[in-house]
Amino acid sequence: MPELTLSKAINTGLRRALEDDPKVIVMGQDVGGLGGVFRVTDGLQKDFGSDRVIDTPLAEASIVGTAIGLALRGYRPICEIQFDGFVYPAFSQIVSQLAKLRARTNGLLSVPVVIRIPVGGGIGAVEHHSESNEAYFAHTAGLRVVCCSDPHDAHWMLRMAARGADPVIFYEPKRRYWSKADVAESADDARVLPLDRARVVRPGRDLTLLTYGGMVATCLEAAEIAAEEGRDLEVVDLRSLSPLDLDTITASVDRTGRCVVVHEAPTFAGLGAEVGSAVTERCFYRLEAPVLRVGGYNTPYPPAKVEDQYLPDADRVLDAVDRAFAW
Amino acid sequence: MTAVTQTVLESVQQFRLPDVGEGLEEATIVSWRVGVGDRVTHNQVLVEIETAKSLVELPSPFDGVVTELLAAEGETVKVGTPIISVGPEAAPPASQPEPTPSVLVGYGPAGDGGRRRRRRRPTASPAHPGLDGRVRAKPPVRKLARDLGVDLATVPATGPHGTITREDVERAAAPAPVEAPALVGAPEPDVTRIPASGVRKATAAAMVKSAFTAPHVTEFLTVDVTRSVKLVEELRAAPAYAGSKVTMLLLAARALIAAAKEFPDVNASWDDTAGEIVRHERVNLGIAAATPRGLVVPSVKDAGSLTLPQLAAAITELVQTAREGRAAPRDLTGGTITLTNIGVFGVDAGTPILNPGEAAILCLGQVRRTPWEHKGRIALRWTTQLALSFDHRLVDGELGSRVLARVGAILERPKWELMQL
Amino acid sequence: MEPVQLLSPDGTFTPDPAWPLEVTPQLCRDFYRRMVLARRFDDEALALQRQGELGLWLQSRGQEAAQVGSILALRDTDYVFPSYREQAAALCRGLTPAELLVQWRGNALSGWDPARYRFHIYTLVLAAQLPHATGYAMGVQRDGTDEIVAVYFGDGASSEGEANEAFNWAAAAGVPLLFFCQNNHWAISTPTHIQMRAPLHQRARGFGLDAHVVDGNDVLAVHAVTRAVAEQIRAGGGPALIEAVTYRMAGHSTSDDPTRYRTASELDSWQARDPIARLESLMVAQGWIDEELRAQIARESDALAEETRRVCREFGPVDMTGMFSAVLAQQSPLLAEERRRHEALVVSYAD
Repeated sequence: MPELTLSKAINTGLRRALEDDPKVIVMGQDVGGLGGVFRVTDGLQKDFGSDRVIDTPLAEASIVGTAIGLALRGYRPICEIQFDGFVYPAFSQIVSQLAKLRARTNGLLSVPVVIRIPVGGGIGAVEHHSESNEAYFAHTAGLRVVCCSDPHDAHWMLRMAARGADPVIFYEPKRRYWSKADVAESADDARVLPLDRARVVRPGRDLTLLTYGGMVATCLEAAEIAAEEGRDLEVVDLRSLSPLDLDTITASVDRTGRCVVVHEAPTFAGLGAEVGSAVTERCFYRLEAPVLRVGGYNTPYPPAKVEDQYLPDADRVLDAVDRAFAW
Repeated sequence: MTAVTQTVLESVQQFRLPDVGEGLEEATIVSWRVGVGDRVTHNQVLVEIETAKSLVELPSPFDGVVTELLAAEGETVKVGTPIISVGPEAAPPASQPEPTPSVLVGYGPAGDGGRRRRRRRPTASPAHPGLDGRVRAKPPVRKLARDLGVDLATVPATGPHGTITREDVERAAAPAPVEAPALVGAPEPDVTRIPASGVRKATAAAMVKSAFTAPHVTEFLTVDVTRSVKLVEELRAAPAYAGSKVTMLLLAARALIAAAKEFPDVNASWDDTAGEIVRHERVNLGIAAATPRGLVVPSVKDAGSLTLPQLAAAITELVQTAREGRAAPRDLTGGTITLTNIGVFGVDAGTPILNPGEAAILCLGQVRRTPWEHKGRIALRWTTQLALSFDHRLVDGELGSRVLARVGAILERPKWELMQL
Repeated sequence: MEPVQLLSPDGTFTPDPAWPLEVTPQLCRDFYRRMVLARRFDDEALALQRQGELGLWLQSRGQEAAQVGSILALRDTDYVFPSYREQAAALCRGLTPAELLVQWRGNALSGWDPARYRFHIYTLVLAAQLPHATGYAMGVQRDGTDEIVAVYFGDGASSEGEANEAFNWAAAAGVPLLFFCQNNHWAISTPTHIQMRAPLHQRARGFGLDAHVVDGNDVLAVHAVTRAVAEQIRAGGGPALIEAVTYRMAGHSTSDDPTRYRTASELDSWQARDPIARLESLMVAQGWIDEELRAQIARESDALAEETRRVCREFGPVDMTGMFSAVLAQQSPLLAEERRRHEALVVSYAD
C-alpha cells in the first residue's frame, strides 16, 4: 500500500473488514455521511449502505448496548465512541455486560464487539476530548484492550480485532491520526504481528522504554537524543494493554536491566503501575534501578494551553532515564 | 455431596439457622411454632425469627418428629447453629446416631466462607538468610551474592548511598571449604586439581574484570635509593618504630601517598555507569600482601593523615592480620590506590594489574647493588625499578609520568622530600 | 387511559372488540395450569431459601398472569430478554427448575443456554437488557425474518437512562421489538408515583412507540393485547410498549421486608385481584374445571415441588477452575498463569 495516514489506514481496515464479512457493521455518531469527526469512516456509508454503516442516536450506552444485541444476533459491530471522554455513559454496558457475557454464560455467548475510541491529547482540544482512560478497561476481565501507534499497526490491528471472538477496546491516538507511514499489503508480511503481541520498535542495550499509542513516537525521539548522549535505549510498543505481552516485555528488560514506562494517562494506578509490578516480579534480579513511570499528572486533563506541560515529552522521558541510570 | 434428597428422615437431622438475608450473621428466635414430639411436614413453619432486616418464618426442610428444640425463644443464635432436631416418625433408638446437618449454602460470612485450610509449608526456606532488610544492594547484586554464596549482611558496602556493589560481593566471596579436591569425571593423568579458594576465585574474577575493563598503561623508572636504604636503617633504630616492620616498602608507601595527594586525579575511580570520574578525597593505600590463601589487598584508610611512625605501625598490623587470615572485611575493601612489592621475591620489575576500581598501582622491585652514575662517576649504588600501572581512561600519560617521577624523586632524596611534606 | 381488562376481579368475562380473543376451556386450562405451577415453583424456591439452600430468591408471586399471558402470545422462535423475576415466563419456554435455581444457589452466574430456549439469561443491572433487545431487533431487521423480539422490565427500570435511550432508539430505527413492562408498583421500597409523573405508556408515546396499558392480573387481557401488538410488530408496524399493571405480592427479594414500607390493607386489596383466583372463578362459573383437573394439577405441582427440592439439593460443589477458561475466547497468558497458581495452591493445602 502507498503511505497512508493513520486515519486512512483505519479507514481502509474498516473497508476491508466490511468487504470480508457481511456481518460486520460500523456504527456510531456521525460515522455515515460525515465520515466521522476524524474522517476515519469516510466514504463507507456511501459504499456499504446505511444498514451496515449506521449513524446512531447520540447515546453511548446504547451504542454499546445495541452492539451487544447485534452481536448476540450474530453480527460483528465495530462501534465508534466519538471521543475518549464520552465513553463513560457506556461504562456499565462495557464493564457489566460486554466484558462479562462470555464468563456469565460459561462460554456459551460470544460478543465480538469492537469499540473504537480516539484517545489522548496533544491536539489542543477542549475538555473531555483528550483523556486516556485505558486503565479502566484494562482492569476489567473479559476485554481485550489494544492501542495502535502507527498507520501500519492501526490497519492490521483493526482487521484482527474485527475477526476475533472477544470484545476489543480499540484505542486510536488522535494526535497521530495524520502521521503517514507505509502499510503492509498482506497479512503474510513479517511486520504484521498478532493482536496481543508487543513490538520492539527500536532495539537498544541500556534501558527499555515501555510505551504505547501516541507516546511511541515521543519515546523514539527521546531514544534518538539519548543516543547522542551515548545511551542506547530500547523502545517497546506494548500494542496490547490487556492482555499484556509479558514475554516480550520481560525479554527486553532482562537484556537492558533498566525500565521506564511512559504513557499519557496519569501514573497513579495507571497501566504503568501494572507493568512496573509485573516487570519487578519477573525481572527482579536483572533490575539495576526500580521501574520508573512517566505519565500525565494526577490532575484532570488541563486546558489546551497547558497540555504541553501535562503531557510527557522527550525531556520528561529523558529525565526519568537519567534517574534510572543514577540509581 | 451428601444432599438430603428425601425429606422423610431415616435418622435424626438438625436444621441449622440459615442466613436468610445475604450476609446476616445472627438472628433471634421469636417464637417456636412446634414443640418436642410434634409431627412436622416439609415446608411447615417451624419458627419465627427476627433478623437485622426482618421477621422471617422458617419452613421445615424435613418430614418427621421434633426431638429437640436447641434454642430458646428470645435467644440470639449465630447463623449455622443447629436450632432444632427432627427424627424419623418411628420412636428414636435408645442411642441416637450423630446428627448429620444438611449442607446449606446460606451460612453467611461467618459460615463456610470463612473456613481456613492449612497450607503445607515448603520444606526449605527459599529466602537467603543474608537478605535481611538492612542490606542495601541492587537486585542483580543480590543475585550474584546468592550465586556465590555470599551473605550480604557481612559484606562491607562501598557503593553510593551505602550500597553493596558487585565488586564488594566478588571480594567477599566466601572461602571454599578446605577439603580434598573433588575429582569430576574421568581421572586426568599428570594433573592435580586444586579447588580454587574463595580468595583465589575472587582474585581471579577481580583481575579479569580489571584487566578487561580498564585500559592499562605501565611505565618504568629506575632510581637510586641508596639514601632511602640508609634512612630505613636509621628508622629501624628509632624508638618510634619499635614493633613496626620498617622496609623500603614503608618509604615507597610514603612516597606514593605524597604523590597521590599532590596529583589527586590519580587517586580516583572511573564510574562506568554514570560516565564520571570519581576523585577520592582520602588516600586509602592498598598493600598487596601474599598470604597462604592467596593475594589480598588490605588498605590503610586515610593513610595521608598518618605520620610516618603511624603509617609503619598501620602497615605492619595490616599485613600481619591479612597473613593470618584475620583481615576484617573493612580492611579488604575501600582502597583508592595500591602498592605492591615484588622485590621481596627477588625480581626487578613487573606490570601490575590495577586493583578493580582504582586508577593506579605502584610496583616496587628488588633493591640491589647496581653500577650507577653517582656524582659524575660510576659507583655501586642501591637501586630499584619502579613500575606504575594506571587506568588510561582517566589517567593520561603525562599525569602517570609525573606521579611516577615524583615517587622516584622522593625515594632518591627521602629526607629532603619527606621534610617538605 | 384505563387498562384493558377482559376478566374482572370477580371472574366476569367481558369481551372487547378492540382486543378479540377466543376464550376456550382449553386456553383457560392451559393458562391456569401454568400459573399454578409457576406459583408452586416460586413458593418452593422461597422455602428453599428460608432453609438455607438458596442464597437469594426473587419471587414472581402475583405477576403470573402478566408473564404467562404475554409469553404465550409470542412465537417460540421470538427471542426474549427477561429481567430477573420472569420465572413464570421461563417455565412456559421449557426451562427446568435446575436451570432456574443454579444462579441463586450461587453455583453459576446464569442458568441456561439462551439459544436453546430463545430466552436470554437474566440481567440484574436494571434496564441494561433494553439496548440489547434493541440491537438484537436491529439484527432481526437486517436479516429480514418475521421474528420479533420481546424484552421484560419493570417500572423501576423504566427510570434508567438506558430504558429511555432504548425507547427512543427502537422507535427511531423502527425495529421489531416489544417492550413489556410489568408495573408491579414497587421498585424495592419506592412506589411508582415517586419514580415518574407521567404514566409509562404515556411517556412511551412521546418517544414514538405504539403504547398500551393492560390489567396485568388479567391473563386473558394480557394475552389478547400482547398477541395483537406482537402481530402488528411482526407485520412491520414498528416497536411497541405494553404496560401491564400488576402487583408484586411478595418482597423485592428474600432479603427484603415489605412491611417496612407498605400496608397490609394494600396487600389485601391486591390479593382480592389475584390473577390465579380470578381465572379460576371464571372456570368454575363456566364449569371448565373439575376435581379431576384440580387433582391432576395438584399432582403436577407436587412433582414439580419435589423435583425443585431434589435438584436444588443435588447441586454439586463448584470451584474456581472453570472460570479461568471462560473469560476470553482465547485464554490469555495471565489467566493461564493464574489458573496454574490457583491449582498449585489448592494442591498445597493439607486438608
